[in-house]
Amino acid sequence: MAISHIVVALAGGPKSALPAKYAIALAGRLNARITAVHVVNEKIIHDLIKAKVVVEQEARAYYRDLEDQGWTFLKKIKKLSESKNVSCDIQLLKGIVHEQIVGKIKDSKADLLIIGQLKEILSMKEVYIEEGERLFWEAPCPVLVVKNQEMVEALFKEL
Amino acid sequence: MRIGEYLKKENCIMDLRAFSREAAIEEITESLVRTGKVKNQEAFIQDVLEREKLGSTGIGLKVAIPHAPTEAVDTFVIGFGRSELGIDFQAIDDEKVHLVFVMGTNPQELSLYLKLLSELSRLLRKTDFREALLKAASPDEIVDIFKRFEA
Repeated sequence: MAISHIVVALAGGPKSALPAKYAIALAGRLNARITAVHVVNEKIIHDLIKAKVVVEQEARAYYRDLEDQGWTFLKKIKKLSESKNVSCDIQLLKGIVHEQIVGKIKDSKADLLIIGQLKEILSMKEVYIEEGERLFWEAPCPVLVVKNQEMVEALFKEL
Repeated sequence: MRIGEYLKKENCIMDLRAFSREAAIEEITESLVRTGKVKNQEAFIQDVLEREKLGSTGIGLKVAIPHAPTEAVDTFVIGFGRSELGIDFQAIDDEKVHLVFVMGTNPQELSLYLKLLSELSRLLRKTDFREALLKAASPDEIVDIFKRFEA
């Protein structure tokens, strides 16, 4: 079975470039297309307001900054992809991270999900808290976890 | 996302000298400056106090979490201070605050920051967690409490 559509989930930090580069390197070799997705975690902001840790005005500023940072990051990934002639659609979603990405995979009938390295899990409770873990378990398609920066950079460079 | 990965014993003050909100923020910030975590003390305190103007970060239950994204730091920082007599933070329950966590992050790490803020808020809602912090005898114990409750 050919892999024609890859969804890559990006947390947005500096480490997020690695799964994106791997997705581009893989898509280029398989002649597949990519959808790069970043989710603004609305739930966390909502929970912080509810707990009175942040106020509405502050939350609005955070929300706006998260959106701006998300788009900036996604646009960088699109440029990176274009530099390797790989088709890349970028999407900024809002809501609960794993739910949004699982929904995107189902809607677009993606063949593969690529995510960054999972965090060390100390207890089963954390499996339900960490978004990466939840994505790993709940994705309706095969999941590829990217690690080893040196190897990924080499694969990306070779393309 | 664990607070225990970031909170260091060098930044835990077991008996704050401060009696006011501003002085408590300053005292905890000083410990972050001493350990090289805050590069601009004045800007950091100003940003945290600006945030306080929007509404007190005294969230009740004897706890305050003064915080702000700020260019005064390169990455996420956290310091802790405990006050035996309590500090008037104009908390939402009008009670004095005994546990103060000062947090800051570079605006570029906002996503991580909100996750850690959420994790701290989750822990502080637990009565046994707060009681453990109030009873702890040393900075080492404070750090151990986080490790235990986040495990």
